[in-house]
Amino acid sequence: MEYALFLGCTIPLKLPHLEKAFRDVAGILDVKLKEMEGVSCCPEPVSLQSLNMDTWVTLGARNLAIAEKMGLNILTICSGCYETLKTVSVLLAEDKEYLNKINGILKKIDYHYTGKTKVFHFVELFSQPEWLDKLKSLTVRPLDDLNLAVHYGCHLIRPSKIMQFDHPERPETIDRILKALGAKTIDFATKLECCGYCARLQEEIGENLVEQKMTELCELEEEVDALIAVCPACTTQYDRKEKIIARNKNKELDIPVLYLAEIMAIALGVELEDLSLTNRSVKPKKLIEKLTT
Amino acid sequence: MTEMVKKNASELDHAFRYEISQKVGAKSLLKCIQCGVCSSGCTVTEYVDLQPHRVVASCLLGLRKEVLNSNAIWTCSLCHRCTERCPKNVDYSFILALLRNLAVKEGKIPKEYSGTVVTIYENGYVVPYTGGLKTNIDRRRTRMGLPELVPPNLDEIRFIIDETGLGGLAKKKEDK
Repeated sequence: MEYALFLGCTIPLKLPHLEKAFRDVAGILDVKLKEMEGVSCCPEPVSLQSLNMDTWVTLGARNLAIAEKMGLNILTICSGCYETLKTVSVLLAEDKEYLNKINGILKKIDYHYTGKTKVFHFVELFSQPEWLDKLKSLTVRPLDDLNLAVHYGCHLIRPSKIMQFDHPERPETIDRILKALGAKTIDFATKLECCGYCARLQEEIGENLVEQKMTELCELEEEVDALIAVCPACTTQYDRKEKIIARNKNKELDIPVLYLAEIMAIALGVELEDLSLTNRSVKPKKLIEKLTT
Repeated sequence: MTEMVKKNASELDHAFRYEISQKVGAKSLLKCIQCGVCSSGCTVTEYVDLQPHRVVASCLLGLRKEVLNSNAIWTCSLCHRCTERCPKNVDYSFILALLRNLAVKEGKIPKEYSGTVVTIYENGYVVPYTGGLKTNIDRRRTRMGLPELVPPNLDEIRFIIDETGLGGLAKKKEDK
C-alpha cells in the first residue's frame, strides 16, 4: 500500500530529526510514501479552529484534495495534523451542504474534494496485527531491558467518534507497538493526562501538568527509561519543561522524552549516530548505554 | 468562581442558544442536563472562571456577554475529555470552538491565538519559512538527507483565508 505522506510544519521545519527517524522506519518496513507537493499547514487545530471554523476546514480540505488528486490515502506523523485532517474529513462526510459550501470556495482555486481520501496516523497503521508481526520479525535491537512510559496525548485518540481507532480512555495501540519491539510498558496514574501545550493562556497549566507526570514517573519503584510520545507538541513540551521545572524547583527530573518513531528506529537497527538522540534537553544517556552494552 | 451576576429577564439573549446550536455538531448544546461530568474531568477546571457545565448553562440562559468575555473559553486545552465523557453526547469542545469563533467576530482575541493565522498567511506554514530562516531549515534538512520541501502556493492560501473572513486579522501585524 502506498500513502501520501503529510508532514505538517512543526516536524519538517523545527524537528526534522523526528521526520528522519520516521522515514528510516518506513523504509525498513517497506511502506511506500509519496511526497505531497504544495500542501500547507494542516492547519493547526487549536488556533485556526478557534479563530474561524470555515478557514480551518477549507485549508484542511485543500490539503485533502491534493491527496485525492494523487489517488492516495494520507499518512500523518503528527497528532495535530491527524486531528485536523480527520475531523475535516468526518465533518464534510456528515454534512453535504457544508461540503458544497467549502467546494464552492475551493473551486475558485481549482481544487475539488469529494471525500474519498482516508487519513491515517502511523500509530493506527503499525498497531494492526500484521504490522506488529512484521515489527517483531524485523527487530534487530530488541528493547528487552527497557521500561517505557507511553504518553498518548489528547488529539491522537479523542474525540473517539471522529478519530475512531483506539479507546479514548484506555488506549493500547502504542503499548502494542512497543511490546512488539520487546519493551515493557508501564502502567501509571497520569498516563492519560494532557501535556498542557495547547492551554496557551496560562503557562502554569502546562508547567503543573508536566511536573505532575514527570514527578510520578521519577518516583515509581521501577526505573523508567523514557517517556514515549507521538505528537511534536507533547514531545517538546515534556522535554523542555521537565528541565526548566527541575532547575526552578530543585527537583531531580531526568526522564528522556523520545518520539515513537525514534525508539522504533532504534529497535529496527538504525545506526544510533544517525538519530540525533542527544538533540533534546534531557539526554537519553542511560538508555543508550543499556542498548549498547 | 465568578462574582454573582444579576440580570433581568429582558436582558437575557434568548436567541444565543440557537446562534450556537444551528451549527452542525452543536445541536447537542440543547441536550445538557447539567450533571457536571464535563467539569469533573476537565484538564483546566481549576484555572477557569466558568467551569464547562456552567458555560453551557450560561449559553442556555442567554448570558451571551458573560460567556464571550470569560477566560474559560480560551483557557481550555482542547483535550476533549468533556466531549468523550458526556452522557448526553454534548460536544462541548466543539461548542467551545464555536464560542471562540463568536468572540473573534466581536474582536475579542487573545494574542496567544491571533499570531498563528498571520504566520500561515505569510508562510503557508505555522512556522516561519522565509529568507534566512528558510535557508537554515533547508540546509539542516539536506544534511539529514531529507527531501526538499515544496511549499504551498501562497496566493491560494491567502485566497482561502481572505474568502473565509480571516484576511483582516491575518494582515494585522503584531504592532497593533
